Amino acid sequence: MRPEDLKKIKQIFAAYYEIAEFSIPSLEQREFGVGNVKKIDARHLDFANLSAFRTYLCNNTPLFVSHSAAYYGFPGATPMQKKQWKGADLIFDLDIHAEGRYGAYPKLDEIKEDLQRLVNDFLLNDFGIKREHITTVFSGNRGYHVHVRDPAYIALGGDERRELVDYIMGQGLNYGDFFRFTDTSPKKLMGPVPEEGGYRGRLARKTIQVLENKPTRLSRLFSKKEKRDFFVGGIREGNWSKTSLKLNDLLSRLQAVAESLPVSSVNTDAGVTQDLSKLIRVPNSIHGETGLVAKIVKDVDSFQPLRDALLESPTEIKIKFLEDVPELAIKDETTGFRKGDVRELSQPVALFYILKGSAELYKN
Amino acid sequence: MDDLDFALKYPFSSEAKQIVQNIHLTDRVLELGAERIKKALRGESKARVVLNQEGKKEDIASFAAARMILGFMKNTFLTNKFAVNESKVVRSHLDKEDKKTVERVAARFDIFPENRNNTMLLDLPTYVRFSVRSPYYRLVNRKLTNGFVEINDNDLRRLVEEAVRKHTEDIPVVRDPPKQVKHIAERIIEELPKSETTINAKEGDHPPCILNLLESAKKHQNLNHSARWYLATYLNAIGMGEDAITGIYAQLPDFNEKTTRYQIKHLRRKGYNVPSCSTVMSYGLCVASCRTGNPVRWHKLSESRKKEILK
Repeated sequence: MRPEDLKKIKQIFAAYYEIAEFSIPSLEQREFGVGNVKKIDARHLDFANLSAFRTYLCNNTPLFVSHSAAYYGFPGATPMQKKQWKGADLIFDLDIHAEGRYGAYPKLDEIKEDLQRLVNDFLLNDFGIKREHITTVFSGNRGYHVHVRDPAYIALGGDERRELVDYIMGQGLNYGDFFRFTDTSPKKLMGPVPEEGGYRGRLARKTIQVLENKPTRLSRLFSKKEKRDFFVGGIREGNWSKTSLKLNDLLSRLQAVAESLPVSSVNTDAGVTQDLSKLIRVPNSIHGETGLVAKIVKDVDSFQPLRDALLESPTEIKIKFLEDVPELAIKDETTGFRKGDVRELSQPVALFYILKGSAELYKN
Repeated sequence: MDDLDFALKYPFSSEAKQIVQNIHLTDRVLELGAERIKKALRGESKARVVLNQEGKKEDIASFAAARMILGFMKNTFLTNKFAVNESKVVRSHLDKEDKKTVERVAARFDIFPENRNNTMLLDLPTYVRFSVRSPYYRLVNRKLTNGFVEINDNDLRRLVEEAVRKHTEDIPVVRDPPKQVKHIAERIIEELPKSETTINAKEGDHPPCILNLLESAKKHQNLNHSARWYLATYLNAIGMGEDAITGIYAQLPDFNEKTTRYQIKHLRRKGYNVPSCSTVMSYGLCVASCRTGNPVRWHKLSESRKKEILK
């Protein structure tokens, strides 16, 4: 990026940071990291209060700013052992993987389903975490972060957090163990009922849901309503034998249902959840690769990142495209661009393409 | 059960602490502490049988004594062995206790199961903190609703066993203990099992500095990062395979097979060389003056020269 483009971008960022609404619980106990070249070039920063943090952002205006999930006695101390770790928020990182620089954006809706399941089915229902302890944040690029600030979870160690992620991702899930054959003759297959907690109940509920909506996914047999209802009636009582399917065959057919139960887009490669000293993008800060705000999302259903996470600005900027850009729905408009195109676009949209490296400021 | 008997079985309890407060760490108590550690090394998880009051008190104090010795030794291998063994002893007691007593011990670790409609429920954070990573205990295979995991009596005992292990392995460092403790520590080091299987090096096979490191590994002593690094580059350079190198590192107290193998692979992929003698000296690992320039050149020395150096 050219220096003059970077200068303009930083001006825009700084103007936003002057008025940005931050909500960082226990800010003074967190470590901060900032970056321009990489997402984190420097860490071990600490701030006494929000106004010190804001002043720093306005004066230095990094492209990326993150804070620790952890709370420390001395967040600025080095090395890490001297910080005195006190606990850490439980963080989940949901990510879209897609080909190409723009491939992820049309898919951002897909991940919302996983996000809803993570929050509603796993965190609220299974883990019993209260809604007020859960904050959902758009990552500013290709996914979402979920911050859990329940005091009961804050002290958990890395291994313990890993076990929670494994649970959500269904690692080690062996649904066959949920079933057992009776000693009676003929044998009966006893399994979970819908009211049960955890994966057991979820398997029963999902199986019933599949039977009611797409019965043939399990077997053509179930296209007949009476056979289907008979089987569903059995499941509700924990008796999975009320079908003419061979019981072992039934178990293998359930595999597809079982595989749909976990949330698979939780990003574990980067160890976000189990890393006790992880730095995570500051909610409501700007992502330096997109110019999108890492917004705290109140209503996931209606949230559209490329519409709702854009910086607000009435001004327009003229930019020149350096490469072809595929068609993309951004700020209520769907357009693609060709290399060499010169366009006057609303400031946040122009910012997006410049930061993505596809355009630069146009100079006469 | 009176407090003394409870404390005897559960020497980490507050009842035990109360009793130990008034007991001096006599030589006898320290010896009993040392014996507790040695028992762990032998893998004997049977509790001592003590009948009289004084004997019981001494036995309770010996747990604290053992912790003091381990706190001074800072040997992770020993501490881990001790913690595992103590937790097994506790488990054998728990298996004979009624539910109320098990819950009394559990409370020491803030494990408070709730009983609802004939099922026992434990809050999720406590469950993940003390459950072991086996398929049976994996969360995915559990009944989990609204932040509570269903457990049974046996599960509770196993969770307490793990809590005891975690608590026992968390030993504060003791910097300046009584003289007697230092003596005992030296004796225990001598009695540590020598591994017969993987480390078979005799004088002359390797340069003295390497031999020294292998000796430490044999005794399950911890090696610092540069020592580990140096040893691995050397073993790799003389053509030892990944499995054999891993076998040597398996003797170290904090051995982790996955990490070790990864690091050996990494070292090979990058083709790191064995550090020069002057670097080894800067690590503080040089113990002789072979004047070979690089440790691997030891193998090119004549037998007579080797003997001369080793003198």
